[in-house]
Amino acid sequence: MGTAAAKLLGAGLAIGLGAMGPGIGLGLFIGKALEAMARQPEASGEVRTNMFIGIGVTEAVALYAFVIALILIFVAK
Amino acid sequence: MSKRLRRWLILLGCLAVLAVLALIPGQAKQHFDVAKEFELKPIVKLPKIGPFDLSINKAVIYLWIATAVIVVLALIIARSLHRVPGRFQLAVESLYDLARNGIVGGSMKSQQATWFPYIGGVFFFVLINNIVGLIPLPFAEHHQLGFYAATANLYVTITLALFTFVFTHYAGLRKNGAHYFAAWAPQGAPPVLKQLIWGIHALSEFFRLVSLSMRLFANMMAGHAILAVFFAMALIFQSYLAAVVLQGGSVFIYLFEIFVAAIQAFIFAILSAVYIGGAVDQH
Repeated sequence: MGTAAAKLLGAGLAIGLGAMGPGIGLGLFIGKALEAMARQPEASGEVRTNMFIGIGVTEAVALYAFVIALILIFVAK
Repeated sequence: MSKRLRRWLILLGCLAVLAVLALIPGQAKQHFDVAKEFELKPIVKLPKIGPFDLSINKAVIYLWIATAVIVVLALIIARSLHRVPGRFQLAVESLYDLARNGIVGGSMKSQQATWFPYIGGVFFFVLINNIVGLIPLPFAEHHQLGFYAATANLYVTITLALFTFVFTHYAGLRKNGAHYFAAWAPQGAPPVLKQLIWGIHALSEFFRLVSLSMRLFANMMAGHAILAVFFAMALIFQSYLAAVVLQGGSVFIYLFEIFVAAIQAFIFAILSAVYIGGAVDQH
């Protein structure tokens, strides 16, 4: 397999496997936030604020994988 | 003609137009390179001082534009404060309240007045930089209109994260003295385990610098790369049908990018506040 094909394959694997974990994590996390908001609607403002913080931190992990995939496609020789 | 019938006829008409578009032969394939959006070429060449190249390129000009926007907006608001706020003053006041009570007040109640200038400044700076990055300005190659955000540059975000990092440890040291570093390991732990936990805690403190900068950088860069690909997909698929459909999709992804810009500014500010608050309020 030539280097160009190997780079593209690596990029595909990077983003494919790297987005599985954060996807599951985000789903669990937002589900719990929704449960909390349904249990106690008067706390939904605070729950929503902390939910956004959690979304930002978790999605960063998926974006690390995306950046590695972009580096493999465009920058690596 | 009843309303239902008219709606069905409109839908059928749109589908017929799309079908006709699909039959028009596309033009020749044009070359489009996503990586060219992020290349920084110097616009005004200035000399180098050591390893620092002072020449002015696209990122520098975008930083200046964002600073000018912030200064002009702040001057406009400060000069014309009404008792009954108009829409613009209401928006700025709600952002100010979010920064002061939501972000700083939520994490660092004891030091709200001390740290609000920094956290509020970082919040507004990152927010305006992200939003200016969504305005097409003629800095792409050959002076075409292109999108670029200053925060889509790793050097800018690492500088901002370095501010937070330095302030965290400076505030912790100033408040707690030399005990600040000793408190990274729990008190009642056996010696070897204590050093291991201290090492892991020190590593995670350093990793906060990496993660804070990478989160903002990767979100902005990925967003702009996706925007570039969506807007230029009409050139890649050689058909008019794809062009029409994908321009509609581009609108949705542009709206999502506005949302991401605001959220990333908020997350950067609130994580900075949490880190500084955690270092200051150490038990």
